[in-house]
Amino acid sequence: MENRNITTNLLIKQLLQSDNMAYVPGYIASPVDTEFRVLDKAYQDTGKQYAKIKTAIDQGKCGNCIEENNMLMQLEAAPKLSLEFLENVMSELSVVETSNYDPNNYFGFMVANCIISEKPGFSKTDGYDVMLQLLQNGTQELTFTGPIFDKPLVINSAALKSLLESDTSMVVETPDINISMTELLVESQLFDPKSIGEDKKLGADAKILETFILKFNGEPDYEIIDLGNGKGRNIIRYDMDKIEKKVTPFINAQVAGILSAEQEAIAAWNVYLSKGTSQEEDDQMVQNANAAGDSWSYELDLPLLQDKKVLFLEKYKEYFYKNYLVQFLTNKIPSVQKDASVFDLEQARQAKAEKLMSSTK
Amino acid sequence: MSVLIGSAISAGASIIGGIIGGSKARRAKRKAARKLKRMNAKMKELEANRQEIINPYEDMTSLSGMMSNPMANLSVATQATDMQIEQTDIALANTLDALRESGGGAGGATALAQAALQSKKNVAADIEAQEKSNEDKRAAGEEKLQQAQITEAQRMQDAEAMGKKFVYSETESREMQQLNRLQNQINTQQGIKAQASADQTSALTGAISGVAGAASSYYNNK
Repeated sequence: MENRNITTNLLIKQLLQSDNMAYVPGYIASPVDTEFRVLDKAYQDTGKQYAKIKTAIDQGKCGNCIEENNMLMQLEAAPKLSLEFLENVMSELSVVETSNYDPNNYFGFMVANCIISEKPGFSKTDGYDVMLQLLQNGTQELTFTGPIFDKPLVINSAALKSLLESDTSMVVETPDINISMTELLVESQLFDPKSIGEDKKLGADAKILETFILKFNGEPDYEIIDLGNGKGRNIIRYDMDKIEKKVTPFINAQVAGILSAEQEAIAAWNVYLSKGTSQEEDDQMVQNANAAGDSWSYELDLPLLQDKKVLFLEKYKEYFYKNYLVQFLTNKIPSVQKDASVFDLEQARQAKAEKLMSSTK
Repeated sequence: MSVLIGSAISAGASIIGGIIGGSKARRAKRKAARKLKRMNAKMKELEANRQEIINPYEDMTSLSGMMSNPMANLSVATQATDMQIEQTDIALANTLDALRESGGGAGGATALAQAALQSKKNVAADIEAQEKSNEDKRAAGEEKLQQAQITEAQRMQDAEAMGKKFVYSETESREMQQLNRLQNQINTQQGIKAQASADQTSALTGAISGVAGAASSYYNNK
C-alpha cells in the first residue's frame, strides 16, 4: 500500500506540475463536466422532508413527536454543519498542495483534492464524483468515487471533527525543517548576537564566535592549506566538541517540538531525513526526497517507538551539521590580518612543527 | 431557520467563496495551534535540560585550619647560659687552686665564691627575661592568629552570601527571561489563532447569509 501511495501521489503531482493534460490530444476540445453540485444534490429533498415533518408536528399527527422534533432540529442544523464540514475537508485536503507534501499519505487524499478543486483529469466526464449525504444520526458523509479508487473514499463529519479537535489531522502536513534549522542556527548561541538581523535570521557575514575557535597554548590553532606554488594560508579550525556541547540542547529542544506531533515527525523523516540527502538535493528533486523503502508508516509506526525517536534525533542533527552549520565552519580565513595573509608553505609548516616540539619539551 | 432548509440549492458564489475562505482560515488556525504546541514542547525540553546555575563560591574552603601561632613554642636559649655557668665554675676552681698554692686566706675564697654566685644569679635572670619575652611573643602571636581566623570566617560568610545571591539573581533573571519570551511567543501565536478564528467565523457567516439569501429568493420565486 505504501508503494501505491508514493507512486500515485508522485505521478499526480508530476502530471499537475507539468500541465500534461493541456497537451493530451483532444482533451482541450472535449466537453468536461466538473459540476458536482455537492450541496444541491445533498439538499434536493430536504425541503419536502422538512415540510412533511413540520406539518405532522403542527397538526399533531405524530403523538409526542420526539423523533420528529429531533429530525427537524437536525435538518435545521444541517446547512451550518455542511459548511463547516466542507471547510474542514477542504482545509485538510489543501495540504496535498504543499511543496514538501509526504507522498506516503494515502493517495486518495490527493485524488479527492483534485476532484474538489476541479483539476483536469478528475472531472465527472473522467468518471469522478463527490457526493454529500445527510445521515439519519445527524452527521454527514462525503464520498469520493472514481476509477483510481479501489473503494470509495468516505469522510464522516463527526469523525473528522473529532480528529481535528484532538489536535491531529486527516492529511499529515510535513513540518518545514528548513525553517526550524534556520531558527536553530540563531538560537544555538554560536554566533555573535550582532550578526542576527531584525528578521531573526543570520546576516550574510555571520561568523561563529571566537570562543569556539580551536586554540593551542592560547593561540588559534590554524589549519594550513596548500594554495599551490609553494604558498599556503591559515584556515580557522573550530572546537567541535565545544560546538556540539553548545548546540545539542537546542537541537534536542527543536526535535522535542517536532515530536510533539509524531505524525509530522514521520512526514519529516520520510521527506527530509531518512535518506540523508542534502538541502540542495531536496530542492532540485522534482519529486522531493522521499524515503521510499525506508519510509515510516502512518498506519504501522504510530506511536513512534523510542528507537525511532533516537534515530530521528541523530538524523536531524546530521542534517543540521551537513546542510546548515558546515558553511560557517569550512574555509574560514582568520579575521586577524597577519594570520590571514598568504605565506611560504614550507616555512610555515616548519614553524608550526617547531612550535609543537618546543611545547612538547 | 426553516428558510435555510433546502436553500443550499444554487446558493452561488458566496457559499463557495465562504467555504474556501473558511477552509483557509481553519488551516491557518490549526497551523498556529500546531506551532504553539511545538513551541511549548521545545521550551519545556530546554527548561528541563538546561545547565544548573553554579555557585562560583561553592568550592571555597576555610583556610583557618592552616593558621597557627608561630610564636607558640619558642624555646629558651640555654646553651650560652650553660657555658657561662660552666666557665664560671671552671674559673672559680682555677682561682681556688691558685689561692691554695699561693697560701691565700679564707676571706679571698669566700669573696670569690660570692662572685661566682652572683654570676649564676645573672644567668638565672637572663633565662627569666628570655622566658618573659617568649611569653609576650606567644600572646602577641595568639592575638594575630585570632584576628586572622575572624577575618577568614568573615570571608567565608561573605562568600556564602554572595554565592546565594548570585544563584538567586541568575535563577530569577533566567526564569523571567524565559517566561517573558514564552509569553511573547504564546501571545503572538494566540493572536494568530484568534485572527484565524475570526476569519473563519466571518467566512462561515458570509456563507450562511449566502445560503439564506439564496433560500429567500428561492421561496419568493415559488
